[in-house]
Amino acid sequence: MKKIFPLQCLLLMTLLFACKPERLAVPSEPLKDIKGSWQVIKATRNGTDLTARFDFSKFRIHFSDSTYTIDSLLPFIVSKNGKWAFDDPQYPFYLSFTIPDSTARSPLLYPVTGGQRNIIITFSPGCTANSYQYTLKRVN
Amino acid sequence: MKKIKKYFKEHPSYWWKVPGIILLLVIAGCSITIDSIDQPASVNGGDILPVTLHVTINTNDVRTAKFMVAVLVPKVWKAAQNGVITFTSDLTSGDQPMTVVPAGTPAPNGNGLDWPTYLTQKIGNGGNLLNEYEWVAFYSNSAYSVVGNKTYTVTVSIRMKTSVDNLQFKLGYCVANSSDGLSDPQYYSSYFPGCFRVNGEGDLIDFCNPQLAVVDPRTSLDNDIVTVSFDGGVAPTALDNASQVYLCVKGYLTSGDSITVCSQNADTKMESLGLNRWRKDIWPRGLFHLNEEQHLARLAYYFTDATGTIKVGYGGGADPFTYTFKCQ
Repeated sequence: MKKIFPLQCLLLMTLLFACKPERLAVPSEPLKDIKGSWQVIKATRNGTDLTARFDFSKFRIHFSDSTYTIDSLLPFIVSKNGKWAFDDPQYPFYLSFTIPDSTARSPLLYPVTGGQRNIIITFSPGCTANSYQYTLKRVN
Repeated sequence: MKKIKKYFKEHPSYWWKVPGIILLLVIAGCSITIDSIDQPASVNGGDILPVTLHVTINTNDVRTAKFMVAVLVPKVWKAAQNGVITFTSDLTSGDQPMTVVPAGTPAPNGNGLDWPTYLTQKIGNGGNLLNEYEWVAFYSNSAYSVVGNKTYTVTVSIRMKTSVDNLQFKLGYCVANSSDGLSDPQYYSSYFPGCFRVNGEGDLIDFCNPQLAVVDPRTSLDNDIVTVSFDGGVAPTALDNASQVYLCVKGYLTSGDSITVCSQNADTKMESLGLNRWRKDIWPRGLFHLNEEQHLARLAYYFTDATGTIKVGYGGGADPFTYTFKCQ
């Protein structure tokens, strides 16, 4: 009996200290990265698809860390080069374009299509009653 | 009576159908109709359009519901903000107010569609040829109980402030209730009195008659993408046999200067849609190579053949079609 008691104690101690709460690192949402050049792959005006009817092929927008430049301007949310920003870099719902005298903001969708991130922005370059939606795809 | 008894004696299986037929008669007995309408043929732009609907409701069932009146109007009128509808009836005392049904509110038995969408699907657009129309639905502020086998007379007063725009439009009216919606023709009634004219300002916006040339969107600025369409099927023109059609357009700037783009090239070539219909999408700022300070006030345009010698203008004649850049 005397021999068994220490053994039991040892077993009990082992059981008590063998388990400890597992510290799981909470995965953090990555910052959304839109750096690079983007082209229009779909465009609608008031819901009407204009993609095949109007030449969007030359339009490019190049995003860097905080600035953007536009090639071959078309009706767009802004008509000059400037700065861009997300409302929330992790969970962006809006994309802002700032030029020296004003800021324009578009609702932002960021879907994955065909394994690639697209950007969908909505804006009114002319009358506010006319709503345009451009789907942009990164140019490889 | 003896003959009826004999008939059912010979056809005993028909007895069960009698209550069914009676029930059907009761259900099918409900009806609502717009009997007549008082509406002027025209008003001046910006004036109030007064309309009176004379409605009869026959009931064969007990029902408690709100009364619904909807109007089909040009969007530019903003009838939800500028329309006032009341009614009197032999069920109520005094003017009964009505309120716009908020957009997005599902219509009864409408499969989740709101009233404007449901009305467009079920009743249609009244034959208006431009798509800038809308149904605006109003509910009575109160719900009313009706009893079976009664006839009610309802007089609806509609007062809508028109916009200053110069237009022709086929107005439409619909009455129903908040319980049955448009689930069966007996529960609603619609009325389209024909083409209505507003003598307003600017180019005529004609919803009623097919047009040789149409610009979409109807309201835009020079930084919009604008679709110019030519429908040669509307009337014979000098371009009836043209295999290619081009846009010839003069842009008038807000500064008073003008720029003409009238070369027959890829920038002005129109896309054939068949049946002598043609279309061109333009970005005016790009087409006229405007700088930041330049802005277009209006366009004057023709359609030409590939040589540029045949020109078709307004009504097929020598005057240009016109389009003014503006927002609502």
